[in-house]
Amino acid sequence: MDLSYETLSTIAKSFGLFYLIALSIGITVYAFWPSLGNRFDKAAQSVLDDEEGPCR
Amino acid sequence: MMERLTIAERQQAMLLSGGLALVGLALAIVGRGDAMGVHGWITMIFAGGLFFVVGNALYAPAPTDDRATSYYDDPTKVGILISLFWAVIAMGMGVWVAAQLAWPDLRFDAPWSSFGRIRPVHTSGVIFGFGGNALIATSYHVMQRTSRARLAGHVSPWFVLLGFNLFCIIAASGYLMGITQSKEYAEPEWYADIWLVVVWVVYFVLYMRTLARRNEPHIYVANWYYMAFILVVAVLHIVNNLAVPASFSAAKSYSAFSGVQDAMTQWWYGHNAVAFFLTAGFLGMLYYFLPKRAERPIYSYRLSILSFWGIVFFYIWAGSHHLHYTAVPQWVQTLGMTFSVMLLVPSWASAGNALMTLNGAWGKVRDDATLRFMMVAAVFYGLSTFEGSFMAIRAVNSLSHYTDWTVGHVHAGAMGWVALITFGSIYALVPILWRRESMYSWKLVEWHFWLALGGTVIYVFAMWNSGIIQGLMWRTYTESGTLAYSFTDSLVAMHPYYVARTIGGAFFLTGAIIGAFNVIMTIRKVHEQTPELDYPTKSEAGEPAVPAAE
Amino acid sequence: MLRKILKPFSKFFEFHARSHYRAERHSMALTIGIIAASAVGGFVEIAPLFSIDETVEAAPDMRVYTPLEQAGRDIYIREGCYACHSQMIRSLRDEVDRYGPYSLAVESQYDHPMLWGSKRTGPDLARVGEKFSDEWQVQHLVDPRSLVPESVMPQYAFLLDTPLETASLPGRLAALRTVGVPYSDEQIENAAEDARGQAYPDSDQAYAVEERYGEATNIRFFDGRRDRLTEMDALVAYLQIMGGLTDLPQETQFAEGE
Repeated sequence: MDLSYETLSTIAKSFGLFYLIALSIGITVYAFWPSLGNRFDKAAQSVLDDEEGPCR
Repeated sequence: MMERLTIAERQQAMLLSGGLALVGLALAIVGRGDAMGVHGWITMIFAGGLFFVVGNALYAPAPTDDRATSYYDDPTKVGILISLFWAVIAMGMGVWVAAQLAWPDLRFDAPWSSFGRIRPVHTSGVIFGFGGNALIATSYHVMQRTSRARLAGHVSPWFVLLGFNLFCIIAASGYLMGITQSKEYAEPEWYADIWLVVVWVVYFVLYMRTLARRNEPHIYVANWYYMAFILVVAVLHIVNNLAVPASFSAAKSYSAFSGVQDAMTQWWYGHNAVAFFLTAGFLGMLYYFLPKRAERPIYSYRLSILSFWGIVFFYIWAGSHHLHYTAVPQWVQTLGMTFSVMLLVPSWASAGNALMTLNGAWGKVRDDATLRFMMVAAVFYGLSTFEGSFMAIRAVNSLSHYTDWTVGHVHAGAMGWVALITFGSIYALVPILWRRESMYSWKLVEWHFWLALGGTVIYVFAMWNSGIIQGLMWRTYTESGTLAYSFTDSLVAMHPYYVARTIGGAFFLTGAIIGAFNVIMTIRKVHEQTPELDYPTKSEAGEPAVPAAE
Repeated sequence: MLRKILKPFSKFFEFHARSHYRAERHSMALTIGIIAASAVGGFVEIAPLFSIDETVEAAPDMRVYTPLEQAGRDIYIREGCYACHSQMIRSLRDEVDRYGPYSLAVESQYDHPMLWGSKRTGPDLARVGEKFSDEWQVQHLVDPRSLVPESVMPQYAFLLDTPLETASLPGRLAALRTVGVPYSDEQIENAAEDARGQAYPDSDQAYAVEERYGEATNIRFFDGRRDRLTEMDALVAYLQIMGGLTDLPQETQFAEGE
């Protein structure tokens, strides 16, 4: 196949767009997946209780 | 420090440093007559020194207790101290180069002291020496605490830390001798680049192995940022540094790329060095130390995940905004511009997330300079990402590019964001690491904070002014349609701002010196205090780390 | 077949699967995710540029750097000149009026690496070649403020006293050929002599340079010294060829302006 600049850049532009959309949807779904909420809350809390807390 | 290594580990360390010293010797012999030979000797002295330090303590008593019940903090401690050392050196160099632009004769009558040679010492020293060591040190701390597990290995953390510093030393000494590839922020030559790849692979494996030991089902988001930093920097570094050496007995090499392709590769690297070295890694710091210090969980964990992927995905496209109106095809420029503007969304999501975390704890921010460092860092992160997106717009870029505005933008990010979050994290970390009641002097932390903030503001305002004036002077026409100002006219107009910039930089440097002093005094003078809980535990959630075998 | 090849490693895999499988699934997924998300952007933007024919204009008269000019370019890189001087005239009216026709991709086709730069503390140098005399350039490098009192450029007087190292030039040209610069075997073999010849007009070596690199090659006592070949010779030879590797920009943009 002749990989000319035109073909490559066209593929780049169209594929890039679809990839962007698919990725954003995928990530949003992951971040807002209901059953994961609990895990995220725990993770957010977890950094606070592994040490005594900041020294003063 | 040696008492926490077993005899076998000490032997392993001696083997590694001995081997490295031999590599240095080989380099010194092959590269004699070239500056590469000097690097061979530096490597040999560095590795040979380590060999003797370890060898001296080879038969000192070995550890008897179960090491898995505590965290391994020695490399973190050393990393923090080295980072502060580089901060003072590299920011000092920065003040000097800045002064040279105001008073060009402020140099020695020797080739090494010219602007072109010491400027990369400043940039690499700050980015890699100060920033890189701070990232490695804090990543060791964060990966252990969030995984509730000890570092996976006792020699490899040292290998990464010291190996990385050998790279920094070779880089900085090379610039003074005129060894450079000229690729900005990727100046070191081929042998240093190969060495960094080795170090980086070990770093990645260490991180993965430590995560694999974790007693926590979920990998905390700070680790994601550190991982992105390690992974993407590796890819960028390898691709951008592809080169053919003119001879294997000399330093000089020629990039595999030329012209347009090289420009695109270089700024793909350059901008993503900003993204993954100076942003992702330091966001990892922010997402751990800010909630920790504020004693509040991050405002929205979901938002932190969304902005993580946003940053990883968008940033990589943005490099071509460095090449507006150049010979790079226009569609590439447009893509770069579009993604740079979109990048504002995840960037502000991160900055907003940090500030919302502090909402309700403003009293703490007022009283605690350490937390204030982090708060102001988040504000500067928001400001400089906005500015970055703005400057990536073609029309704005036509004015700002090639001027001091770019320099001001970079320093708003580097001083206001990167350095402030690092200093904040260091002040939070030092008492925990060295088991001290508090920092030696809170007044000095306050002094450091205000000097750093004042210095940054002076610097950035000076550069905004000079950059915009410069850009406007270059494009001003007289009524008869000729250019109104010569280049020299624009240079003369810069002088007061170059003086102001030097003063701003000196403020910032003074703050860093005070910080380094404060840390050393904390270690030497402040009483010890053993925290109740700072060792690996099972997850508070009670879930077993490794579910029963399937 | 595959099983046989993998057999020696099976122990490693089993160990892996038993003790780390669950825990590493997450971090591996994260790793793959990061690579997948980050790799695409760079690939999409950079890969098409390598179908070079259409990115870079055709310039039949494009010539390569002579060994002396390449040595000068290496000195330019060594001293970090690119930190303050760009070599890329953007397609903006004021830049074209100030510096000359805007830069074309083809002009840096043989620049490994490119030196487009990112900051103009000093002016753009893409077309500085032959704008000033050799004497001016030498004097300006020795003491910039003797010619431009407001200048903040460092002094490079030591170049005038440093003999040019030419022994490594064949190796340098050979490396450049490996990355795509069309040097001939003859040019590579004689690189050291050619560097000398270009700075010694009317010598036999000089005629050889003319033969190998074309009649348009600048052959002069660049540093004004007739006793030896210095780094100043090389750097000035490089400065004087900037923008002079092809006439395409002048030809095409002059036509546009008509």
